[in-house]
Amino acid sequence: MELIDKLSILADAAKYDASCASSGAPKRSSEGKSGLGSTNGMGICHSYTPDGRCVSLLKILLTNFCLYDCQYCVNRRSSDVPRVRFTPEEVVTLTLDFYRRNCVSGLFLSSGIIRSADYTMEQLIRVAKLLREEHEFRGYIHLKTIPEADPALIEEAGRYADRLSVNIELPTDASLQTLAPEKQLGSIKQAMQTIYTGLQTVLNEPRAPKFAPAGQSTQMIVGADDTDDSTILHSAQALYGNFRLRRVYYSAFSPIPNSPKSVPLAAPPLMREHRLYQADFLLRNYGFTAGELFKGPGHLALDIDPKLAWALENRDVFPLDLNHAEASLIARIPGIGLRTTERLVELRRQRRIRYEDLTRMRCVLAKAKPFFITSDYHPQQAEVTSHLLYQQLRDRPAPQQMGLWG
Amino acid sequence: MIHLDCDDLFDTWRQQARWLLSHEVDPSLVSWASEGVADLFASDDAPPETQGPFQARIPRTLLDTLERAARYRGDQRWSLLYEVLWRVSHGDRTAVLAGDKLGSELQRRIKQIQREAHHLHAFVRFVAMPEGEGPHYVAWHEPAHDILHSASEHFIGRMGRHRWLIATPRDGVYYDGERLIHQRRCPIEWQQLAQNADDPHSDMWLTYYSHIFNPARLNPTVMQGHLPMRFWKNLPEGALIPGLIIQARTGKQQDGQASGIKGRGGKRITLGDAERLQNP
Repeated sequence: MELIDKLSILADAAKYDASCASSGAPKRSSEGKSGLGSTNGMGICHSYTPDGRCVSLLKILLTNFCLYDCQYCVNRRSSDVPRVRFTPEEVVTLTLDFYRRNCVSGLFLSSGIIRSADYTMEQLIRVAKLLREEHEFRGYIHLKTIPEADPALIEEAGRYADRLSVNIELPTDASLQTLAPEKQLGSIKQAMQTIYTGLQTVLNEPRAPKFAPAGQSTQMIVGADDTDDSTILHSAQALYGNFRLRRVYYSAFSPIPNSPKSVPLAAPPLMREHRLYQADFLLRNYGFTAGELFKGPGHLALDIDPKLAWALENRDVFPLDLNHAEASLIARIPGIGLRTTERLVELRRQRRIRYEDLTRMRCVLAKAKPFFITSDYHPQQAEVTSHLLYQQLRDRPAPQQMGLWG
Repeated sequence: MIHLDCDDLFDTWRQQARWLLSHEVDPSLVSWASEGVADLFASDDAPPETQGPFQARIPRTLLDTLERAARYRGDQRWSLLYEVLWRVSHGDRTAVLAGDKLGSELQRRIKQIQREAHHLHAFVRFVAMPEGEGPHYVAWHEPAHDILHSASEHFIGRMGRHRWLIATPRDGVYYDGERLIHQRRCPIEWQQLAQNADDPHSDMWLTYYSHIFNPARLNPTVMQGHLPMRFWKNLPEGALIPGLIIQARTGKQQDGQASGIKGRGGKRITLGDAERLQNP
């Protein structure tokens, strides 16, 4: 089969992985050297597809032959898709070609499980090794890790890759048993532990060989089963804590062709995914805990963002005086982000903050207004009940034409 | 009213601003020619020849900030910078802060500059040239601000020993393997080379682009936020975008698979005995 046919099938098979990040790699440069490629820690999005997702890496499967039968996956063994396989050399050629064109900043390679976990992992490593050693490629490499592979192979992968990831897929053992019978939470976490140990070993050892300097990430599928947001975010929090993951990606389940009965055939829950990312951001950067965002089991609200939802539940904290409040609390005001907080703190060292200053900073005033005080402003809405504020601030779906047939 | 022209060069502007500041010329009394448009209120007041008595202490970081903001193409490109300089040199540091009226405009410009530099790093598309003396790779790009010279250094680290050229409607850069050469007026040969480069192997990238797109997640608004339409015409994938959107809206939105994969003859896999042993 022609290379271009393989490319079309294996790119189509790889699109369900959400991550395309090329950030976090150490500074590397090819200036005056043979070989190709550089990284500087910042990711570059070289293009965007009409689904609004960025194209930063050549995201591809080595093969879509797979022995597993994960129900949510287009490449499961019972799926009726054309099957092809790249040679490692073909992936190398494509990566270098796209890289020279400045279409991508590196490679994100994953694979179906062929023969055995170890064999598959060896093939993935071979591609990375060819790129790094034969072609002196200094761009970004992200390797998907096969959980059941020998830890020695995972360690080898870490020497070539900037980032390693093991997909947790579903946050509970019960869901995995139903939808991905060959996968086990135990072995997935074991692989994360292996990567974590590898990262810890080279930490503070400047002379040690590099190990996955951009850290590890994972992905959870949202909406393929009935796991609630609370469970999802509590397990994300545990993953950040236990394995120091850089990112947990949430992938709204998109229906696959010839969908089995066990997974929904509905449109992907994009809004839910969006709210999960917002909440995840609050966990990683704003010092929130999952317990603060959820009173019990359940989902995040779809019509208000999680920070606003928290503020409405915790009115006793507000309104906050921007001229005196701690920075970490200012960042908890809905509509005011980390950047604005930084700017406010910088400004109040020079003079007192006035309402007008906020209009010039990029914050969502309509949302923030009820929750802060400045030297010339006290919110009228401070006394309004949370329920009424919720009614005023929630997103309303645009009115839709009713269906002709009811 | 003093009317000046710095030929859109930061160093020239800096000299002029230094004279003005030393004479404590109020910002409202100065204007700079922008983009060849004559100022309606320009008069023949000659700028002061010698240095005046006022000695301002200008921190190095402020000059760096101003130099970055100077890459912005737009109205009041230079007079805004002078006003900031004036206020800071008279003890008002808020002039550079986003909370201030002037400072917020300054910060907005710097942000635009950074964004445009990032656009260069992301959206330049190199085309390989036939073997020869000249560049190995050429690209045509249309930046909205004067970022080419400073931002194109990024490609020195990226492209290794390759020689490459980026031409724009105004300026151009050529890396000859050792030095980065910047031409304020891009030579017409460079422009022609970049605009007429033949690319017989572009189909791989186009195939990848259309197959990595998930039609079930169609979201053109978000896409346009990140990839403004003005770049589409110079991106090889730009021409595919409207077609992919329409395809998704007319039926391909039900699942994630790209059209063209379906109906190619699939293959279900049965587990052989050996595989069953390895994967119990």
